[in-house]
Amino acid sequence: MAVDITNRQFIAQLIEKERREHRSGGRWVIVPIVAMTIAYLTPLYYLFVTIFKTSQEYARKGVLELPDSLAPIVDNVVQAWTIANMGQASLNSFSYAVIGAAIAVGIAAAAAYGMTRLNLIGANGWFMLIFTGTLFPFQMYLVPLLFGYQRVGIINSWGGMLLVYVALCIPFPLLVLRNAFSGITREVDEAARIEGASEWRVFTSMILPNATGPLIALYLLQFTFIWNDLLFSSILANGIDVRSIMVALQSLQGTYSTLGPNVVITATLISSIPTVLLFVALRKYFMAGLQLGSK
Amino acid sequence: MNTAMLSPEVLKEARRRERRVAWQQTRVAWLFIAPAVIMVALFLLLPVVFNVILSFTKWQKFTGLDQFAGFNNYARLFRLPYFGEAMGNTAIWVVGAIIFPLAVGLGLALLLRNIPFQETFKSLFFLPRVMAPTAVGAIWYYVYAPRGVLNSVVSGATGQPFDYGWLFSPDSITGAVIVTFVWQTLGITMVLLLLGLAAIPKDPIEAARVDGATPGQIFRHIVWPLLLPTVLVVTILNVAAGFTTFDLLWVMASSYPAKRTLSLAVYMYYESFSNGAWAYGSAIAVVLGSMVISVSALLAIVQSRVSKNIR
Repeated sequence: MAVDITNRQFIAQLIEKERREHRSGGRWVIVPIVAMTIAYLTPLYYLFVTIFKTSQEYARKGVLELPDSLAPIVDNVVQAWTIANMGQASLNSFSYAVIGAAIAVGIAAAAAYGMTRLNLIGANGWFMLIFTGTLFPFQMYLVPLLFGYQRVGIINSWGGMLLVYVALCIPFPLLVLRNAFSGITREVDEAARIEGASEWRVFTSMILPNATGPLIALYLLQFTFIWNDLLFSSILANGIDVRSIMVALQSLQGTYSTLGPNVVITATLISSIPTVLLFVALRKYFMAGLQLGSK
Repeated sequence: MNTAMLSPEVLKEARRRERRVAWQQTRVAWLFIAPAVIMVALFLLLPVVFNVILSFTKWQKFTGLDQFAGFNNYARLFRLPYFGEAMGNTAIWVVGAIIFPLAVGLGLALLLRNIPFQETFKSLFFLPRVMAPTAVGAIWYYVYAPRGVLNSVVSGATGQPFDYGWLFSPDSITGAVIVTFVWQTLGITMVLLLLGLAAIPKDPIEAARVDGATPGQIFRHIVWPLLLPTVLVVTILNVAAGFTTFDLLWVMASSYPAKRTLSLAVYMYYESFSNGAWAYGSAIAVVLGSMVISVSALLAIVQSRVSKNIR
């Protein structure tokens, strides 16, 4: 069929038809999306009504009903905070996460620099060695780590916990940064070297500033991993002065718990605040970081 | 240039100098990679080797490391009923972790593809992913409680009182925890699929539509094959999670008496740290590890084949 593209009326009809199709599709599509979003947010809605209820109120009312007043949250927070010693626990986890993620990403960046920018004999072999660290399930580390930590005497210690987190957070950032650094043009550092800059200087002032995006994304990812960890901290650091926030949270919950759901749910909210805030504030980097995980 | 400069001695000297420079650089490079290599070798690789050795000993909480048991720990795996049940549930977990996030995530990604406020919806569905599995498990523990959210929705819809203990019965607990897992993973799966969908060129789809293809045909013959590499990446991520999910199960099954049978990851933790059977726990970890690695390797091979075919 020959189309006269100078025929304005025909073109206008075509555009109108196209628009109508899009619009009707758009209207239909919103129904399942809204239904799914409501179902999806119900547990979070439950969380937000529960933290404002007293134990008696929780027992008396339907679980999805609105609370009488906002005041009970103060008591819920105080109870969760004191019974589980959450102040100490969040301080511990926060220090593990802030420091551990920084050291791990730093070490991984240095290694990635050594592997991509310097003439390292056997660079691929070294890379494979560290990459192997991402293959095994965590379950294979647990018993030997417990044994080793008991032997060396760093079980239940802040430093011991930090060390294992640093080690766990090296392989993946290395994998990502190795790709990121390979993408930076060679001329940058060659020029600096000819000027007489040391390798350390080239690394810190030429390469790192060129990879801030991935570095921030990786830091957030590792911070979240350490903050959220239950597995390693429940085995290696049970003592009240070194235990993680997730171990503290778990101690509130379950069969032996006599606390009302309102207190436990409040504790889950407290333990989620740092990562959720980071997510809201740095959403772009967060999404980028989690997508890195798939490459 | 005269020929004297290229005499064997000169060449040898030049080659030696070159090698010296290379070694010098390698030594500097070693300083850069040493911390990473030492940390990973000491805290990750050494434990794996030790774990394999341990699995052949009789080691327990109060006995020594010196007695070897041969394959006894592995034989015991198959003698006790727990292992079979844990294996079966792990298989359900792996299949569930492959199918559900993918099916729901793909449906949602297709729905969200062309709507306004896409970013808002993406963030909403993403939010559970930044919460800790321990926290998510604790919330959902009360969602499934006899007087919990799910039962109150069911009784509200049917008008009859309903107080089923979802996390107390072997018939429902695995499925219930998988639903929670999907709730947490859906966001990231959907975001990855949306990226994959956005990368598909518009021209062939447009051409097929002009030729009268139905949306179903377009999806099956154009979108799906081009999306397959992304689908496989998502599958690799979720398979590993299906094999090793621990926090969620441990927290949600805190009132379930037979929790050791819920998955191999839970069984391993239970035997090692609740029962103190360290050598036996190591054997479970070795079985789990070999399964995860072989399945992931297989999927990675398929994935690289598929991506190559498309390019």
